[in-house]
Amino acid sequence: MPTAPAPPTLEESAAYITRLGKPTAAEVLARARTSGRTALQPRCGVGGHREMAVLLKELETEGRPDLLTLTIDSHTRLRRFEHAARALRTDHRTLNGYPLVTHGWQRGRELNELVAVPLEIRHGSPDPRELFATAVACGITSFEGGGISYNLPYSKDVPLADSLAAWTEVDQLCGELAHLGVVMDRELFGTLTAVLIPPSISLAISVLEAVAAAAAGVRCVSVSYPQSGHLAQDVAALRAVPVLAARYLPAGLDVHAVLHEFMGVFPRRRHHADDLIFYGAITARLGGASKLITKTYQEAHGIPDAAANAAGLRLAAVARSPLLDFITVDEGAVDEELEWILRETAEIVEPVLAAPRLDSAIVTAFAAGRLDIPFSASRHARSEVIPRRDRDGAVRYHSPGRLPLSRASTERNRRLLDGPARPGAGTTELPGAELFQALRRDIDYFPLLFGELPQDAAAPGGSAADSATSTPGKEPAL
Amino acid sequence: MPTPMPLPTRPTGAPERGGRLVILGVAASDSHAVANHLIAHALRADGFTVVNLGTCTPVDEFADACERHPQAEAVLIGSLNGQIHEDLHGLAEAKRSGRIHCPVVVGGNLSVGSVKDESSVTRLYDLGVDRVLASAADLVPTLDALHAPTASDRVPAAAAR
Repeated sequence: MPTAPAPPTLEESAAYITRLGKPTAAEVLARARTSGRTALQPRCGVGGHREMAVLLKELETEGRPDLLTLTIDSHTRLRRFEHAARALRTDHRTLNGYPLVTHGWQRGRELNELVAVPLEIRHGSPDPRELFATAVACGITSFEGGGISYNLPYSKDVPLADSLAAWTEVDQLCGELAHLGVVMDRELFGTLTAVLIPPSISLAISVLEAVAAAAAGVRCVSVSYPQSGHLAQDVAALRAVPVLAARYLPAGLDVHAVLHEFMGVFPRRRHHADDLIFYGAITARLGGASKLITKTYQEAHGIPDAAANAAGLRLAAVARSPLLDFITVDEGAVDEELEWILRETAEIVEPVLAAPRLDSAIVTAFAAGRLDIPFSASRHARSEVIPRRDRDGAVRYHSPGRLPLSRASTERNRRLLDGPARPGAGTTELPGAELFQALRRDIDYFPLLFGELPQDAAAPGGSAADSATSTPGKEPAL
Repeated sequence: MPTPMPLPTRPTGAPERGGRLVILGVAASDSHAVANHLIAHALRADGFTVVNLGTCTPVDEFADACERHPQAEAVLIGSLNGQIHEDLHGLAEAKRSGRIHCPVVVGGNLSVGSVKDESSVTRLYDLGVDRVLASAADLVPTLDALHAPTASDRVPAAAAR
C-alpha cells in the first residue's frame, strides 16, 4: 500500500463533516426522539474494503436503516495493526470486521460518502485512541464504548485505570470537536457481557461512564441497554434513562436510550428468531428508545449475510407502524420495576459518585466488589454477582455479591426468585450442581421457550451459551 | 504493572468444606468466560474456596497459582474449543518439577467436532492430566474422591456422549 498522506487536523475534519451535508448521528437520534419513531441500526463489518462498500450499499438499499455501522475486527481492537495488515494482504475473509486504521482515513471517507445515513464505529477496544483519530478523520460522527464497558467484557488483564485514561482522551477530543461545531454521539456499551445483566448494573455502569464523558466535554451520550426478554423490566430500564440523566448528568448533555435486541443465546430456527426480533422492536417502541440495534435470524449461526441483516431491519421497522398504537404494556408493572431499578442504581452509583476522583473511585470499587458485573472476561471485576431469572423471566439478583444494595432491594430480589425469604438463610441457597443447571436454563431461556432444547437440557460440557459464535465474554457481537 | 491476583473467595452462607481450595481456569487458547463463571459459582455454593484464573490461562499461570496456594487440592482446567491438547503442552514438566503439586482435572468439550472418542481422553492422561470429566455434575464427587485419604489411582473416564 502506498503511504497515506498526513491525516487531517481536527479542524479540517470538523470542516469536512460540515461540508459533507450528511446528518450527524446526534441529529438522527434527536429526530427519532422528537418524532417517537425509533431509529434502526444493524451491525455490519467485513475485512475487505470493496466488500464493506458493497455491504453498506446493500443494507442501505434493502434495509433502509437510519444509521449504519462499521464493526471493527479483533486485531484492530487490540491495536495489532500489523496483524490486520497481514490479514488484508493474505486473506481479508479471515478478519471478523473492517480494519479501519489499516485501510486508512481516505478509504473510510469513501465509505462515509457512499451512504446517506451517518456511520457508527462499534469495536471493543480498551484503548481506542488510534481508531478514534481515524474515525474522526473519516467524518464518522458516532463512536461506541467506554473505559469500563469496553474493557471488562473484552480483555482479561487490562487495568481499569489504563482503559479509563484512554477513553478520557477520546472524550476530551469529542469536547474539542463540539467547540468546532460537531457534536459526536458517544454510545456506551451497557450490554456488557451480554448474559443475564441486571438492569441496575447496566445502567449504573453507563451512568458512571456518562458522568466521566460529560466532564471531559462530551455533549451527546447514548445509553444502551440489552433486552432481557421481560417486557415490563425492559420498558422500565429504557424509561429509567431520562430519569437517571436528570438525576446524575449535567443539563447540557443530550442523553438517548438505546435498546440492543436480545444479545444472549438466540433461537436457531428462523421463525423463532424472527419472533424475538419483532418482540425486541416492540420493546424499544414501548420504552421510548431513540435507537434500536437490530439482530438477524442468523444470529445463532454466526455473522449474518447482507440479506438476513436487511430482513432483520425490515422486520424491526414493522414494529414502528402507526397501526400498532393499540399495543400497550402493563403500566403498573412498569412503574414498579422502574421504581426499583432507580433505587438499585442509586445504591450502586451514589457511593462512587461521592468520591473526590471518579476514575480512581471506579478502580477501587471494582477491586472491592462494590462495583461488579456478572461473567466478566476480565480479572479486574470480581464477578461475584449471580443473576437469575425469576418465574416470569425477569433478571434478578440471586446474589448481589459485594454490591452495596440495601436490605430492601436484596430482599425483594430474593422474594421474586424463590418466594418468601426464610429467616437466617444465606445468600446462596442452591447447592452447586443445582445452581449450575439453573443458570444454564436461564441463559438458554429463548431456545427453551421455543422448544428448541429439551426442558432438561443437560448436555455434557457447555450449553448453547458456549457453542454459539456469539458467545458472550468471548467477543460479544457488536 | 504486576498482575493483581484474583482473591480466593467463598460466599457467606455457603456450607463450609473445611477451607478446601481449588484453582480454576480455562485453557490457554480459550476465551469462553461464561461456563467458567458457572463452575466457579457452583463450587462456591458447595463450600469450596475458588481461585479463578479465568479465560486464556497458560500452564505456567496455573503453576504460579499452585505455588502461591500450596493448600490447593486440585487444578481444574476447562476447555470448550477443542484445542486443549496443545494448550496443555508443558503440563507434564510442571508436574515433574513440582510446580503443580496437586491433581489436575479437565472437563468441557475436549475435541473439535461432535464425535468424541476415547483417544482424546487417553492423550490427556499422557499429557499429565489426572481426571477427565464427562459432565460438570461429576466435578464435586471427583474432587471428594481425590480428597479422600485413600484416593484410588486414576480410573478411565466414561466417554462423553
